[in-house]
Amino acid sequence: MSNKGVIALYVLPSLLLLLSIVYIPIVLTGYYGLNKWDGISPMSFIGFDNYKTLVQDQAFWQSAYHSLLLAVFSAISLIGYLAIALVLSGKIKGANLLRKIYLIPMLLSSVAIAQLWIKIYHPSNGVLNTFLNSIGISDPPSWLADPKVVLFSLFVPIVWQYAGFYILIYYAGLKNIPETLTEAARIDGANSWQIAMRIKLPLVTEIIKVTVVLSVVGSLKYFDLIYVMTDGGPNGASEVMASYMYHKAFRSFDFGYGSAIGFFLLLICLLATYLIRKATATKDTVQFH
Amino acid sequence: MKTEVIPAYPLGAPGAARQAGRRAGMGLMYLALILVAVLQILPLIWLMLFSLKNNQEVLGAPPFSIPTNPHWENYVNVWESGNIGVYFLNSVWITAGAVILTVLLASFVTYAVTRMKWRARSFVLGLFMVGLMIPVHSTLIPLFSTFQKLHLIDNPSSLILSYTAFNLPTTIMILLGFYYALPREVEEAAIMDGCSVNRMFLRIILPMTSSVLATTGIINMIYNWNEFIFVNTFISSDVYKTLTVGVQNFIGQYTTDWGAIGATLMISILPILLAFLIMSERIVEGISAGSVKG
Amino acid sequence: MFKKMTVSGLLLALSILIVLSGCGGAKGADETGNTGSSSGGSGSDRVTLKMMHLWPAGSSAQQNKLVTQIIDQYQKDHPNVTIKTEIMDNEQYKNKLKVLSASNELPDVGITWAAGFLEPYVKGNLFAPLDDILGGAQLKDKFVPGTAEAYAINGKTYALPIELNITPIYYNKDLFAKHNLQIPTTYEQFKQVVKTLSEAGVEPIALGNKDRWTGSLWYMYLADRIAGSDTLKKAMDGSGSFEDPTLIRAASEVQSLVDMNAFNKGFNGLSNDEGKSEFMNGKAAMYLMGTWEIPNFTTNPDIPQEFKDKVGFFKFPTVDGGKGSGDSWVGGPGVGLFVAENSKVKEEAKKFVEYFVAKWGEQSVKDAGVIPATKVDTANMKLPQMYVDLLGELNKASNITLFADVQLKPDAAQTHLDMIQALFGKAVTPEEFAKKHQAAVQAGK
Repeated sequence: MSNKGVIALYVLPSLLLLLSIVYIPIVLTGYYGLNKWDGISPMSFIGFDNYKTLVQDQAFWQSAYHSLLLAVFSAISLIGYLAIALVLSGKIKGANLLRKIYLIPMLLSSVAIAQLWIKIYHPSNGVLNTFLNSIGISDPPSWLADPKVVLFSLFVPIVWQYAGFYILIYYAGLKNIPETLTEAARIDGANSWQIAMRIKLPLVTEIIKVTVVLSVVGSLKYFDLIYVMTDGGPNGASEVMASYMYHKAFRSFDFGYGSAIGFFLLLICLLATYLIRKATATKDTVQFH
Repeated sequence: MKTEVIPAYPLGAPGAARQAGRRAGMGLMYLALILVAVLQILPLIWLMLFSLKNNQEVLGAPPFSIPTNPHWENYVNVWESGNIGVYFLNSVWITAGAVILTVLLASFVTYAVTRMKWRARSFVLGLFMVGLMIPVHSTLIPLFSTFQKLHLIDNPSSLILSYTAFNLPTTIMILLGFYYALPREVEEAAIMDGCSVNRMFLRIILPMTSSVLATTGIINMIYNWNEFIFVNTFISSDVYKTLTVGVQNFIGQYTTDWGAIGATLMISILPILLAFLIMSERIVEGISAGSVKG
Repeated sequence: MFKKMTVSGLLLALSILIVLSGCGGAKGADETGNTGSSSGGSGSDRVTLKMMHLWPAGSSAQQNKLVTQIIDQYQKDHPNVTIKTEIMDNEQYKNKLKVLSASNELPDVGITWAAGFLEPYVKGNLFAPLDDILGGAQLKDKFVPGTAEAYAINGKTYALPIELNITPIYYNKDLFAKHNLQIPTTYEQFKQVVKTLSEAGVEPIALGNKDRWTGSLWYMYLADRIAGSDTLKKAMDGSGSFEDPTLIRAASEVQSLVDMNAFNKGFNGLSNDEGKSEFMNGKAAMYLMGTWEIPNFTTNPDIPQEFKDKVGFFKFPTVDGGKGSGDSWVGGPGVGLFVAENSKVKEEAKKFVEYFVAKWGEQSVKDAGVIPATKVDTANMKLPQMYVDLLGELNKASNITLFADVQLKPDAAQTHLDMIQALFGKAVTPEEFAKKHQAAVQAGK
């Protein structure tokens, strides 16, 4: 088989699936965004009117700011996950069991996680406020009702929800490093910290870059827990781009505008990815030897 | 940071002091690790308690309170009302089908992108990455009309195709990070031996990446297992619906049966927990355990 | 094996692409796409009707059973008809309806809400007018006045209501007795009750305002009592103004209730279910909610009898100098049944809806605890006292002010709901609240 044939064989099936299932919505979303459409009556083409509205829509920019905060928060939390993965992948007793336990919450569906945290945050009999009361804080905030704290109250479960995902990826990456490499370093007298910093981390840089992109893009289009726990409230204090889009398209029957938001969100994600790739670009990739 | 040279097997008094300090450090670390482990296992216990409560207890009592008389009938309710058995089987085969398809297709692509030289590869990779960025609610109306034209509405293959397509980008990206770090020596040796590309992929690359395959498999499995927006939109017959829809059976116009929802969630987490425990055994020392020799 | 798989994968993807290549954006005008899979509506042909509803067996067992009974009976009477149902919860139901509409794939029969919710579907020509069955033998003069009208646009009725609810204030008799409180009939007395309870450390009112329509009830009542139902109605339909001083006063009364700690802590972050539980576990003394809650205070076996015995209700008090009467209620028809305009079996579907509404009207109070929109003859029914009392109130009602989120058009309804949360959370002044409403209603979306 020719080289081109082999490449086609390996790439085309996925590519066709991607183009037919993922790109049709992308293209159509872009197209709907240029129309006035309630999703029911016939569309009418209005050019870039929706985007002009969008640029001046304060509620949208507020939601975009919230999404951006979440992205930063998620990206920073990656450091913690990497640290945990480093510890777990080291030669400590019980690491295998601990790792499995650590990943259990990741199996829960968003529905279950949302219910759990709603119970934790309940203003009077929630776990958190009961604890705060018991240590003498008499008037703790209502975590999901106070516009000043609600966003961060949501970030905690979101970041926690994905902990398992990233720990798992890091762990698998670290475990993939041939033991001969670390053993050799240890015999040369390096301690665990040095092995982690000088040998393990450089070998998982590609994986780290990937996770940064995944967490930033994932955060920018995040929807699930926010929808269940606050529905963007109170009064938009926890609205993010995806929930704003959903509210416009499915609740306000403004599918044209909702699509414009969706497409704009895609452009923001593209820009973010481009910036991340640029900031982390390296000439050569590190390989195991 | 100053590099100190530590002898491999420290002996004598200073060594002993250092060892004592090290022990204390290890102890602290273990304490922290175990504390986190306890915290991580609490949600499962909470869910168990939740599934044994009635609405009064779920909404009124503290989340970790023990129900005074456990409402086992929640499980009976769940089992008797609705098609839990059918949903369950559908969840299993749809999830399995999509996971296998996704991981396999993603491996093909990643292999071609990292191991073959061709002009459009970074463009193709870019195409896949854009796939990460579309919010799910933008896709519903276009996909519905697409599947309608294909006569795939109310057909489980619409689910498998969409799960696969939407998970390919993430899966490829994760695989990519691993493939880049994979040593080429083995492959080079194999090519010298006259091994064909396909044979090499099957016999060498796939086994070598088994731990990341398990990783992406787990991630895909969790996503597919818990997905419900596509199920709701594309499927209308009860015989093709999946477990996530079972939860909805207990959400009414004005009232919600929380205990039964807890029981449904509990039933639906067990199989995936089992699958997870089995698959995560595959994430071991990657290359040394892989069949590099074969 | 491996090659085979790749090849078949390739073929699969290719075939997808080929089929898709003709796939454009807008739906073709000539597309008839409909789900009724039968060959037509005439006489003895086999007919399959597709119906979508939102009463799952798990959570709405009685409604679900009633629907099944009605369908079984209908199929027995009409052996050529098969009725297939699809059941979803409220939220998913609304989403799916939206997606199906965009692809012109509505079920033959389905559930809709009144007024503002209905309008886009009518404008898009998706629902069939049902005036012929409304005036037909089975249903003529059967509806409570004002209920079917809520589904009328430009003189045609596009759905038939099967529910009617009003919203009393339920209260805990024990807590009232313990603090020597009487049922308030004026708003001044009501505020005194709130003050007494609050000072005694009892939560006066249970509220879960994450859902927002819950808080809306309070504003709507105050607006109705202070400004009068006419002023309110005109503000809602755009012919009047939300910036009417009496309506602004209603908004500021909401905030003064918040200042008096009338509502449980953290209400803006709690769902209706969580808010309700404050009342159900005896921590809060009052709860303003629809008549759909009556089963919880009468027949529901999961609620302890001793609690059910404690619950009474009263009408929202009148405001001194206000224009609204104490017999005016916030409420209205809940869900109704529509028939899809392009259903291939439209006539059969209409016949079924006619039958369904009539049967539902006869059985729903007794069997499901749901008050139907058709007149109920309670004479030979044995109903819990609370039903009898509230049905009596309903007959005496001078006016029913439709729930705001149903009355307003979709986008304005969203603004209203968001503003309610902001008003209760004191993030806006009553004046800003009025101004935002005015702008939203004027935008006409």
